[in-house]
Amino acid sequence: MAIVLSNIVMDYPGTRALDRVSVDFRDDEVHGLIGENGAGKTTLVSILGGSRAFTDGRMTLDGEELRLAGAGDALARGIAHVSQEGSLVPGLTGAENILLGAEPKRLGAVVDRRGLKRQARELLARWFPDVSIDLDAPVETLPYADQKIVEIVRALRGRVRILILDEPTATLPAREKERLWAIVRRLPKQGVGVVLISHFLSEILALSDRITVLRDGRLVETFPADGADEARLVSLMLQRGQAASAREAPREAIDAAAPPVVEVSDWQTTEAGAEHFAVRPGEIVGLIGLTGSGHFAFARSLYDAPDRVGGRLRFLGEPVAEVSAAAMRRRGVAFVPDHRMIHSLVGDWSVRENLAMVHPDAGALSGLGVLSPARETREARRVMERLAVKASSPEQVVAELSGGNKQKISIGKWLYGAEGRYRLMIFVEPTEGVDIGAKREIHQLLRDLARDGCAVVVASSDLIEIADLATRVVSFAGGHAIGELHWPNFSEQSFIAAMAGVRA
Amino acid sequence: MSATLTGPRDEAAGRRRLKQGLLRYSTLIVLALLFIGFSIGVDRFLTTTNLLNILQQISMLTIVAIGLTFGFAAREMDLSVGFMAGLAGLIAPLLLVAGWPMPVALLAGLGAGLAVGLTNALLVTLVGVPSLIATLAMGSILFGVNFLLSGGRAIYGGLPDSYLVLGQGRILGIPVVAFIMLGAVALAWFVMERTIFGRYVYAVGGNLKAAELSGIRGRRYRQAALVISSLFAAIAGILLSARLGSGQPNAGQDYLLDGLATVFIGMTMFRPGTATIAGTFFGALFIGVINNGLNLVGLDTYIQSIVKGVIIIVAVAVVSRTTKLKLI
Repeated sequence: MAIVLSNIVMDYPGTRALDRVSVDFRDDEVHGLIGENGAGKTTLVSILGGSRAFTDGRMTLDGEELRLAGAGDALARGIAHVSQEGSLVPGLTGAENILLGAEPKRLGAVVDRRGLKRQARELLARWFPDVSIDLDAPVETLPYADQKIVEIVRALRGRVRILILDEPTATLPAREKERLWAIVRRLPKQGVGVVLISHFLSEILALSDRITVLRDGRLVETFPADGADEARLVSLMLQRGQAASAREAPREAIDAAAPPVVEVSDWQTTEAGAEHFAVRPGEIVGLIGLTGSGHFAFARSLYDAPDRVGGRLRFLGEPVAEVSAAAMRRRGVAFVPDHRMIHSLVGDWSVRENLAMVHPDAGALSGLGVLSPARETREARRVMERLAVKASSPEQVVAELSGGNKQKISIGKWLYGAEGRYRLMIFVEPTEGVDIGAKREIHQLLRDLARDGCAVVVASSDLIEIADLATRVVSFAGGHAIGELHWPNFSEQSFIAAMAGVRA
Repeated sequence: MSATLTGPRDEAAGRRRLKQGLLRYSTLIVLALLFIGFSIGVDRFLTTTNLLNILQQISMLTIVAIGLTFGFAAREMDLSVGFMAGLAGLIAPLLLVAGWPMPVALLAGLGAGLAVGLTNALLVTLVGVPSLIATLAMGSILFGVNFLLSGGRAIYGGLPDSYLVLGQGRILGIPVVAFIMLGAVALAWFVMERTIFGRYVYAVGGNLKAAELSGIRGRRYRQAALVISSLFAAIAGILLSARLGSGQPNAGQDYLLDGLATVFIGMTMFRPGTATIAGTFFGALFIGVINNGLNLVGLDTYIQSIVKGVIIIVAVAVVSRTTKLKLI
């Protein structure tokens, strides 16, 4: 069986997620799918898995036109999708999870517990005879690899020919990965093709028969895995020329003798920590790491650390006892979080109201806390112009804006009535889901802020962005700061080595 | 000032805006139609006396509903308002009958509101009991307290005129309660729409996570909203006892359901899905006009109850189908 996608186009409001991508998937191979965040991998497999309809193009199954009405329809055609987030129901056993929604019944109503256990065991044994998992234990108590295997066995319940695995090892500790790899390797021999998305290039190389690289929604190349190496994958994934020129772009000289704006030592929260970390005025420090490595959590903990376990933080030389959003904001720390619609914006508020969220006093009359709509509108317009926000007026509802403009509002909150006020600005995924034009503008803004003496911290999963902006990079793995790189010693290899825990 | 969007997005946004615009004012249009209908169809509806009656009838309800609106805006629901009104409406008359001066009686009634509001707020924000449950339980407690305090009997006799005038008096022919209500509406509107405090209450209700990461101490505004809710209930309870000329152990009980209905109807207007003071005021007017009109037509109160129930369902259905309804 082979599924052929030809010239697939996928448009989201304001952005083109996939641009004429052609690729084929077969049931006798592991097909690695790689690309940076935003390259279109997840969109592509959502189309393949039936959960998204594409804008243009053609999909065929063994030569016949394939139109999928949803994930259920895809499953009926033999395409199963095990998503990144996981879909297990905690509290239920492994067996119950495997047969979720297809439990054997007695008298058509009562779950046949013994039959359920037997069927689940049979399914597991049929696919993976040498794997033993305690299917009677609550599924959340199983090792992570076993949990993934339970999910995979559930996906294989029907007559599956293509199995999509989206970052199956992202949450797995290193020692459990091998266990899952063995499973993935075996599937094509049993007639199930695998489409594998992974950030771990060594994993892609070790498991795949063919590899497809996507970049910015376009197909770069599909090629056999034999003979390929990590360096080649990385160079295909990253826009070499651009990344290189970015690395060569001059950086403002940092006064290494200047006292740090923020400094932590033995810093530890429940999610992340660092022995020592400091940022000086004018520096842009990039935090990098694989998903879940703690770089985002660490960035946030410099602003809001309700889960602090230990360590000391000094801001402008002063020891800080309370590291909470309200206290740190007052001291002069700004925080622009990821997932802006969840962490930063009120969706049904206007642009003006969202901008005024941090410093409403800038639109107020005197110090009485009385808001003046005219002043608010004036200040909102100023920020909108400063950031080139495209909106019909300050009264437009923020949810209606494009990703780039939403992100500009999320940043603009810290400029509204507060130009030049913040001494430390922390950004997490500053250009997540943002179009190229807005991305460039946001990058320039960050550089301008640093040039004006602000200390800037950027945690991002976009390595090009980091290479483009940072004066210094700190890498995280397993919740800890493990390495440091200084511009201009940036390269894809050095980044990846630093993230993998190899000291550069 | 900046480039506009083009293409299908623009059209879709335009349609959405038109739809929201229609939705925003549909309840007001229905209210106007009701008003016109009653004016034409019912003899004694469109008279000064009757219109002032409506105003008087909705005054206490509006005050309770304003308190609820603060709670809703911060996404906290206060189900103890009815019994809270009852408590304040007992404490003040009890003290007056016992010979205490008026200011003491009024302050004691308001103090009870403050105490209950603080207790609710602490239970919700510090102990972590969801407001729906904490205030439901508080309502049950207050119901019992009200009967213990009064011995199950009405408190009357010896209430000074200076007290009764709050509920029964008129200035220039207009009921005193209406002045108080309009003052409360104006004050609450100003606080919610024109002060940083109000903006923060809305921020906390609109997206608590975003508000807190913006440096707003969310807990403080959720507490404030619950305290204000209880205080407004206490004011309404005092006014009700003044109007009735006595403290009744089960007075104010209807305010919970009617108050919620008022806020729900209000949430269909102006900023659909969000509780606003203006929306609440017109919501109360809506209920007042319907109750009054049906009364004049001669329909029984249980018919009115049915009509009210249907209206709540329609209002909430309209809001939840078109916006993401923010209840709790």
